[in-house]
Amino acid sequence: MTNELAILTHGLTKSYGHDEVVRGLDLSIGRNRITAFLGRNGAGKSTTIKMLLGLIRPTAGSGTVLGKQISDAKQNREMRKRVAYVAEDKPLYSYMTVEQTINFARSFYSDWRIDVEKRLLLDSELPANRKVKSLSKGMRTKLALLLAFARRPDLFILDEPSEGLDPVGIEYLLRTLVSSSADGVSIFFSSHQIAEVERVADHICILEKGCLLMDASVDQVRHSYRRIDMVFPTPPSERDFRIPGVESVKTAGHQMSVFASRNAEEVVERAHSLSAVSVEVAPVGLRDVFLETVREN
Amino acid sequence: MLWYKAWLETRSRFLTSLATLTMFSSIFVHHALYIACMNTLPCSEEIKSSEWRSEFHRLLFINQQYVVIMWILAVVLLAMGGLVREKALGTSSLTLTLPVSRARLMRVRVAMGVFQAIALGVVPWVSVFVISSRARMPISITQVGSYVLLLIGGGLVYFAMAILISSLITGEYTAPALTFGVVLLAAMLFDNWLRRFNVWRLVTGDFSIDRNTFLLSKHLPWPGILASLSAAALMLLASVMAVQRREF
Amino acid sequence: MLFKLNTTTGQPLYLQLMQQIRHATETGALQDGDQLPGIRTLAEKLVVSPNTIAKAYSELEHEGLLELRQGSGAFVCVKRRIRSLTDSVHVARRRIRDLIDRLRDDGLVDEEIRRAFEAELFFTGEIARKR
Repeated sequence: MTNELAILTHGLTKSYGHDEVVRGLDLSIGRNRITAFLGRNGAGKSTTIKMLLGLIRPTAGSGTVLGKQISDAKQNREMRKRVAYVAEDKPLYSYMTVEQTINFARSFYSDWRIDVEKRLLLDSELPANRKVKSLSKGMRTKLALLLAFARRPDLFILDEPSEGLDPVGIEYLLRTLVSSSADGVSIFFSSHQIAEVERVADHICILEKGCLLMDASVDQVRHSYRRIDMVFPTPPSERDFRIPGVESVKTAGHQMSVFASRNAEEVVERAHSLSAVSVEVAPVGLRDVFLETVREN
Repeated sequence: MLWYKAWLETRSRFLTSLATLTMFSSIFVHHALYIACMNTLPCSEEIKSSEWRSEFHRLLFINQQYVVIMWILAVVLLAMGGLVREKALGTSSLTLTLPVSRARLMRVRVAMGVFQAIALGVVPWVSVFVISSRARMPISITQVGSYVLLLIGGGLVYFAMAILISSLITGEYTAPALTFGVVLLAAMLFDNWLRRFNVWRLVTGDFSIDRNTFLLSKHLPWPGILASLSAAALMLLASVMAVQRREF
Repeated sequence: MLFKLNTTTGQPLYLQLMQQIRHATETGALQDGDQLPGIRTLAEKLVVSPNTIAKAYSELEHEGLLELRQGSGAFVCVKRRIRSLTDSVHVARRRIRDLIDRLRDDGLVDEEIRRAFEAELFFTGEIARKR
């Protein structure tokens, strides 16, 4: 049962009229790891997630979550018993109190853990009898996340979980994610906070304009992506650096900066063979990897 | 705990309507008794002649006219909300990702509404019965039962119509406004061309009332009631299908 | 145990952790038989994916530095290489001190010296690793 992928899609597409929000998406998200889903606003992340959870129907393509077909209402419902989802806007019923909300959510899931619920409630300092409509944004976020983290499902799907949290809250969130992952929960979350993704994600997927641009392990990205800054005696030609793995080349006078997703050594060798005066190789942070990948597209 | 949620969502509308309907009926009947019993309560035996009785029953018939208006208003408002409205409020992604089917979500909401509609029909008339009994102007339980049956049996179609419209339209004010518009329009159109099929007249007892005694006939318009309930069932089915098809 | 993982160095976190554990055993911060924190505990403490910790422990077990006992955790098993390595480190430190003095005499400022060290270390280390 743990052989199946957490999420698998084939050619998943969603169009609204002529507007293709998600195009032919082939996602393959593994179990027992933390996968981050990156993308600009409007890239199609939330639409994809909504299709996975049966909120909207794909225009084309298919998908499974925990082995269950997303387009089959009954299977999707079965799957939702084992998936905890928190939407981007952290929806809650404004007329319920904190306690009523928790009691409500708890009644639907057999994987609810009361001990964890009590601890999270204590840590979050949420007032049990206050109505949701009177809560601050940060408190609403904490409550919405609590409803998911008090469970032990097979998969968490979180859309921008850290939005609305202060740094202490974010740290607590990451620690909770990591703890759940150690329990065997697969985690799939979208985020704009690259710094937090860099720390906890095992794997990243980058979505841009409805297409999957990258699907790689973070270790692999850290290991392979390099920026090579070189200075030449005479202004270099970009053509000399059309090496596989080179994603972009920038020249300014005698200086050249190469952004490579792999094969940095070949770039260095080429630079030396062209008598470079200075060659510096530096690692590339995930933020720059994201920006370059999206820009190049 | 879907029932609990449905209750929390409709609680204030329901209780306000219940209070209004019950208070109105109670006060109206109390007044009617004063008129019928020549300003002395409890009623003296001489007063309870057939003339005053039929006067009293005529006033009960008038009570039903008002009750019908308020009841329809109440059930239309109770039918508002639901998943489509939740989408506008932003909570549909919470409700719809619960491990329950959309049909079940609808069923609970509709059932809660139906129970509330029944209560809104029964309680005011029960208070009428109690008040008039204590004033020693008893009315037969069959009469009360008939008014309630006409109201609910015939009137649930209005509730179903409101559910259908609220399953198609997101606006907080558009949905009830449209429903009231349809209700009024239907009443007027039917009255002009299809009077015999006008649900409004069925519900108010217009088809069943004896104009001399102002008692409802023992033979209730069952075909009419069944037709109305069938129409209600169809509309509710259409509502469920609409919600199942919709994208959230 | 105090570990610090840096997401900006271009080195996978599990490799960094492996190096830091190895370094700890070399300097004697971790002795033979010491128990390392459990995967979940360390993951929560460092706020990194448990897979990172698991991979590091697993690789070190491969190398023979750690022994993973079912249910109990990860235990250090270090041979008697410690002393000679600490000596090498002392020698290295002395050599580096001399080199830095000479570079300063040449006119380089500390910041330039640091950058040169980092670039050389990083790059040559990579080449060596990839070979």
